[in-house]
Amino acid sequence: MRTPNFRAGLPLLGVLAFGVLAGCSSVSEVTKERVARSETSTQQAEQTVGRSEAGAVELQRAKDHLDQAKAALKKDNSRQAERHAQLAQLDAELAVAKSQSAAARKAADELMASIQTLRQEAARGVVASDE
Amino acid sequence: MKHSYNLLLTAAVASLLGACASTPDTIEDLEVARAVVPQVEASPRAGVAATNVSEARKALDRANRIADSGGKLADIEYEAQIAARNAQIANEKILTAQAQEEIEKGNAERQTVLAEARDAEARRRSAEAQSAEQKAQMAEQRATTLEQELSELRAKKTDRGMVLTLGDVLFDTGLATLKPGAYTTIDRLATVLKEAPDRKVMIEGHTDSVGTDEYNQGLSERRAAAVQTALLERGVRSEQITAVGKGEGVPVASNDNAGGRQQNRRVEMIFTDNQSQVATDVE
Repeated sequence: MRTPNFRAGLPLLGVLAFGVLAGCSSVSEVTKERVARSETSTQQAEQTVGRSEAGAVELQRAKDHLDQAKAALKKDNSRQAERHAQLAQLDAELAVAKSQSAAARKAADELMASIQTLRQEAARGVVASDE
Repeated sequence: MKHSYNLLLTAAVASLLGACASTPDTIEDLEVARAVVPQVEASPRAGVAATNVSEARKALDRANRIADSGGKLADIEYEAQIAARNAQIANEKILTAQAQEEIEKGNAERQTVLAEARDAEARRRSAEAQSAEQKAQMAEQRATTLEQELSELRAKKTDRGMVLTLGDVLFDTGLATLKPGAYTTIDRLATVLKEAPDRKVMIEGHTDSVGTDEYNQGLSERRAAAVQTALLERGVRSEQITAVGKGEGVPVASNDNAGGRQQNRRVEMIFTDNQSQVATDVE
């Protein structure tokens, strides 16, 4: 009698375990996928950031979180894996966003400088023709 | 920009202190999130990072709820970190949008500056062209001055060009010397000829039929030469002047009466419209 009841209760227990005790249960495919996705994002961020300073700190943080997420996977700690994967994902995005905003800022500054130079050249040209 | 620096500073300080925050009284991650999320929400460019801004708000609300209900510190910190990261991402996207706006404006400004530089260059060139044109106009004016002068001196327009006749009264009778009355005309002609060095004049001496052909031929030549000399003395270049004597052969009136004969005793100055005509006549 106990065995069938026990078996019937398993799915319910599984759902409970996943929902409430996720950290202690075996890791679901969804979690593994999330970690994998964070790894992809981190790799992409690494390409975007490259050797530039902007985003380097965040990229390193993303890698650290990814390592922790993977370690949590090995320990079957789903909750920690999910959280670190999520933080790795966001740090990777932040690294990319920082790198992009730094590049845009640099481009804007360079453009302003070139306009300044152009103005000076134009002014010199006018002065020269007045002489 | 100041807005953004504040945000970054807050985040930086918070991330440094975050590791040390272990007392639930002040949870650093939560304080950071509470500071940065409203900042990006207030940005006029929040729209460029709408998803991150809304995710940040939702995570902050969750963190606040957990904190209010005395939930676990780790849960609060996690949600607060999610909120802060999203806010930071939003902030970077906003900064990017700002820079891109500057680039757009800068490109437009660059075009304007370039156009201004081109205009300045064009003005400089047109000023140069204008001064060249002025020179050309002055040259043309000199040419028309000759025409005006000739017409004022009552030159007649003929198919050989403008013909100005110096009458007999301007010469001493039977002599090839100009009377002072001719000087005004000669002076004016010399002036305009000097100003128009490309114009040429042919001087023809004519007589009436009184006297021998040889005498008349000689007199006509001497009178033409006298006018030529007068012009040369006044600085007209010799290449501009040709002088010939036509004797009595080309009368303009009857030699039967005194009036006609007087008309026939004359020096004609022929100014060509184009420069080659005199040369052709001479040949």
